[in-house]
Amino acid sequence: MTLLIPETYPKKLIDKNGKRLDGRALDELRPFKCKIGVLANAHGSAYVEHGKNKIYAGVYGPREVHPRHLARPDKGILRVYYRMSSFSVHERKSPAPNRREREISKIIEDALAPTLFLELYPNSAIEIFVQVIAADGGTRCASTTAASLALADAGLPLKSLVAGVAAGKVDGKIILDCGDIEDKAGQADIPAAIRMTDEEYTLLQFDGEMTPEELETAISYVKKGAREIFAKQTAAIKEKFERIRQETDAENKKIGKTDINPDDDMLGDEDSMDMPLELEKGLERVKEDKTKSSDKSSKPEKEVNTLKEESK
Amino acid sequence: MTEANTDIRQIVVPGEILTEDSNFLPGRGAIRKGNKLISIYIGLKEVRGKYINVVPLRGKYRPEIGDKVIGKIVDITSVKWRVDINACDTGALKPKDSMDVYDKRSQRGRAKVSSRELEFEAMKKFGLGDMLIAKIVSVDRVSEPVITTVGESLGKITEGTIISVDVPKIPRIIGKKGSMIKLLKDLTTCRLFIAKNGLVWIRGVSPELENLCIEAIRKIEREAHTTGLTDRIQYYIQEKKQERGLK
Repeated sequence: MTLLIPETYPKKLIDKNGKRLDGRALDELRPFKCKIGVLANAHGSAYVEHGKNKIYAGVYGPREVHPRHLARPDKGILRVYYRMSSFSVHERKSPAPNRREREISKIIEDALAPTLFLELYPNSAIEIFVQVIAADGGTRCASTTAASLALADAGLPLKSLVAGVAAGKVDGKIILDCGDIEDKAGQADIPAAIRMTDEEYTLLQFDGEMTPEELETAISYVKKGAREIFAKQTAAIKEKFERIRQETDAENKKIGKTDINPDDDMLGDEDSMDMPLELEKGLERVKEDKTKSSDKSSKPEKEVNTLKEESK
Repeated sequence: MTEANTDIRQIVVPGEILTEDSNFLPGRGAIRKGNKLISIYIGLKEVRGKYINVVPLRGKYRPEIGDKVIGKIVDITSVKWRVDINACDTGALKPKDSMDVYDKRSQRGRAKVSSRELEFEAMKKFGLGDMLIAKIVSVDRVSEPVITTVGESLGKITEGTIISVDVPKIPRIIGKKGSMIKLLKDLTTCRLFIAKNGLVWIRGVSPELENLCIEAIRKIEREAHTTGLTDRIQYYIQEKKQERGLK
């Protein structure tokens, strides 16, 4: 496709000091930031900033499959919708889903399915919607990272989180985490996603030319990068809940409650799984009492007052 | 067993190694991988004797027999209602499961009306969009859950507010032996019904108290993984009541 505004790439992508266009070392990641629970209506959601990539992912389900004939009686299905916003790239992208988006949806699906227990959800579907707000090379990897976080946020049982990162070859040198220009002007590109508990690859694509030795270096870079991303994913999740804990500890001190037995009053106590029966039974009784009392109190107060005054 | 019951329960993420000690067994929310135990949820790690559990912080409702749920009628066919119960599948409510009293007209010996006609009549009872408190009668992997509205405190909801909360945090809203729900009822004088599927029915004497109750529940939901919650909620409600001049 011819671009209306042609993109120009610099001749040298790596300078004399071995630094890249944005000043990174060869095996250095772009700045990475993530957050969970960002969309109110989704069952689980996540937001990822990887370099200049800005990506939202939302998880819905497990829920009914539409059209119904796609449902499988033995296990659930996972469906991913990867979409790029029309303003996310250099030149406007048509909002209609294209071949590339369908491909990336498919590979994200394949990258995440091995972490799910799909056999728990017969006849239902888990749907992930990935929306790229800004693209800066390596969106498929960043989208996989985001989608994995969103699945975890939805509370679905997962074998592991997945971290995605790409390696590439630029000016004859292997680099980690290609940026937009390195991706387009480079000689090779290896997007990968890794299931972090056993470090198995769930996504590995290859585009370009490399010698076997270079490939090995690239793979080692990818592993290193994925571990860094995984550490940041984990930290982001924990930070969210730890922050609330710190806030509440301060509140506890404020109200003068310091002698807390942590075992006493905690989520997941089996005692508190059921609503006590006497309370449930009381519900009916309370209902009647309250209606009677509220009728009495609500209706007349003003009238009674005025009547009293009149009588005086 | 080297690991003692830690003071504050750690927050773990899916795939995180809980222990490499082979004496422990995987409990709820944990699986074994080689000689390691790993978590499968974002949740709180908890050691109970030989077992290591992970209590999830988010999750979807999975129906179980006997659960009392709040549902919304989303579809009416000629033989049943389909009720959205906040689970993977919609629940099925059949007319015979909604008839409170056994109709005398169909008693043996003097059947003036066939049971089919009675059921047809009963189908007029609920309309689209009605909210119900119902109980789950049967669940399996193959068919949709069947629910009933016959029983104590079950039936159509005609008043009040319904809010939805995270399902794993329901035990915290109820509290140990119902302590939290008692507190909410006493301080806000609201009537509450907490359904297992993450919906809470609230009816307050005044809208202000109802709002306060909802805010308190939202606070419980947000801070479900912290300690000393009951006291904090008590303080919170009392403070807000004073601030807003509520009785």
